[in-house]
Amino acid sequence: MTSIKGVGRRTVLKGMAAAGTVGAANWSGFAPAIAASKPVKIGLVAPKTGQLAIFYKEVPFVLEQIKKHTGGQAVIGGRKRTYEFVIKDSQSNPNRASQVAQDLIFNDQVDLMTTFATPETVNPVSDQCEANGMPCVATDCPLESYYNGRGAPKNGFEWTYCFFFSLHQQAPASIDEWDKVDTNKVVGALWPNDDDGHAYAGTYPKFLKDKGYKIVDPGRFDMPSNYNAQIAAFKAANVELISAVLPPPEFFTFWNAAAQQGFKPKVAWVGKATEFPPAVTPLGKRAENLSIEIWWTPASPYVSGLTGISSKDLAASYEKASGEQWSMTLGIRHALFEAAFETLKTTKDLSHAAVRDAIKTMQYKSIAGPIDFKKGGPFPNTAETPLAIGQWRKGTKYPLDLLVVDNTAAPDITIQSKPQPINWG
Amino acid sequence: MFNGFLNQIVQGILHGGLYAMFAVGLSLSVGVMRLINIAHGDFIVLASFVLFTLCTALGISPFLAMLIILPPAFVFGYLMQHVLLQKIVGSSNILPMILVTFGLSIIIENGLLIGYGPNPRKLLAGDLQIASLQLGGGVTVGLFPLITFGAAVALIFLLDLFLYRSRIGAKIRAVSDDVDAADLIGLSSKRIYAIAMGIVAMTIAISACFMGIRTNFDPSSGPTQLLTAFEVVVMGGLGSLWGTLFGGIMIGVAQAVGAQIDLAWEVLAGHLLFLLVLVVRPQGLLPKE
Repeated sequence: MTSIKGVGRRTVLKGMAAAGTVGAANWSGFAPAIAASKPVKIGLVAPKTGQLAIFYKEVPFVLEQIKKHTGGQAVIGGRKRTYEFVIKDSQSNPNRASQVAQDLIFNDQVDLMTTFATPETVNPVSDQCEANGMPCVATDCPLESYYNGRGAPKNGFEWTYCFFFSLHQQAPASIDEWDKVDTNKVVGALWPNDDDGHAYAGTYPKFLKDKGYKIVDPGRFDMPSNYNAQIAAFKAANVELISAVLPPPEFFTFWNAAAQQGFKPKVAWVGKATEFPPAVTPLGKRAENLSIEIWWTPASPYVSGLTGISSKDLAASYEKASGEQWSMTLGIRHALFEAAFETLKTTKDLSHAAVRDAIKTMQYKSIAGPIDFKKGGPFPNTAETPLAIGQWRKGTKYPLDLLVVDNTAAPDITIQSKPQPINWG
Repeated sequence: MFNGFLNQIVQGILHGGLYAMFAVGLSLSVGVMRLINIAHGDFIVLASFVLFTLCTALGISPFLAMLIILPPAFVFGYLMQHVLLQKIVGSSNILPMILVTFGLSIIIENGLLIGYGPNPRKLLAGDLQIASLQLGGGVTVGLFPLITFGAAVALIFLLDLFLYRSRIGAKIRAVSDDVDAADLIGLSSKRIYAIAMGIVAMTIAISACFMGIRTNFDPSSGPTQLLTAFEVVVMGGLGSLWGTLFGGIMIGVAQAVGAQIDLAWEVLAGHLLFLLVLVVRPQGLLPKE
């Protein structure tokens, strides 16, 4: 008798608990009195370790900076609430990124997901969010790789968004820079057999032909390569410009082999490998006048809509705090978290649908320039941020400085120097 | 056309020297201790970071730094074998070996990430990095790849001399041939394994110097060269030093020829040659007799 009663009581309790959870989940958005007791959770999947770890460097600084400004509180629908970033390490591995995203959605029950650092992190996390109805805002993944790499659905995605530059924006801007250097207009392509290589190969040739350039493309290759065959082909065709998208060690191999074998191009555009100061510093003088896109620079006029800090001040405070030179990732990280706070600020409530709608209609002025999902970018669910073109120069405070040399795709950003050919002295 | 082809073959041979240098330590550990060291690449990266620290702190050339760390590297390898690896070699079950060395690989990579951060580093060797030689006939080679090749040949020559002409080398070979018999006649296999590992660690320090000058490295660069190194070792014949050099050159040339046909064939050609050798001569090209 007693035991039956016991079972009955437990069953009832279990049922109540379950009902309670369901109730809480359904009602949290509409019941501020209950919701106020727990912080808003923003999920972040990022490569803390592994080969993409360099992308994560500035995150602790940026989060601290924002916390100082917000006092650890986010404004949600006009009401202040404490917020919490739940950060999970992707270990630079797409499968792991997918796994921890799931973990954030189901176990941590985050209200909004954020992610960054190449298609290898952004795409799997976004796919998980899309499959599970979780609003997600991403950056630091070229828009072609984001949209095409995720199956390029005609009607776009329902839950996931990404702001960054696109190759359709980069290609004409970079060619504009090359136009300003006196060359024979013969471009050697170093586009490897990976997402980025294929994206370059699918975008650049059309723009190059329109501008009267001749392309010498030895074809997609697997890495690590020793670049001997490519260099031989470039030398035979008298190539004077290089369009490459390579990870740093690969570029080093190429650049050394080029010098050893007497191949001396006038312009070298090297996507990926020359984006960060630590990656180019070891090259020393041989990094001068290498060209690269700039997604954020302290020289830009943009100011954070969240904290009001200017691009110049953000770089200065980072350099002071870390003792390291600014890099583009600093500003774009800041912009990502700004976008997260902007989403929370404009959302009606914390239901996933309302949060998603807030991203969808976002028109915001971030430290990396305007983020406009309402107008949209070249693909559904994307927004283009301003993109300048830069060259590395001998620095004043640090060994090398990245200066803006062309601004066709970002007229707001002041030009700091003229494009120059590589000096093989 | 022919000149271009000749040039590619020469570059391939030189590149093979680098592969052989990476693989020679692995060849020794597999050949002598039957130790499959998954962490071999990570040890090379670890040594590169040590060299980097020395070069930056003392402002010396990477080659000098390499000479300085050779004795400590030997001690490190000796202790590593004595304290840890000895517990996993000699068993017919290779699972503990894979697990322990895989664990070491993860520990080294993340330890370096904590200590040095994710930034890529490079050993600076000044103008040597970009100096080139005109050999005529359309062949231009880099001075550094040439030195690398020479160093690989010299290293293998010296190791071969050591293993086949010295007393301790004879002991190592004895233990390698039959551990039980060697123990029976009073050789301490434990001590001899440790010495062999010390020598492996010295080859690691040497490869680290050449890798760090050739390209940049970060804490996660370890596994990149490991696959090719394994192929070189197996192709050359397990435990055969000259086979390792030969295997390295074969893969270097196969890649150069593959790339000449079509770039997409560069890496593939090396793998295909490896598979072909496995089918035709599973014991390797120059197996240990």
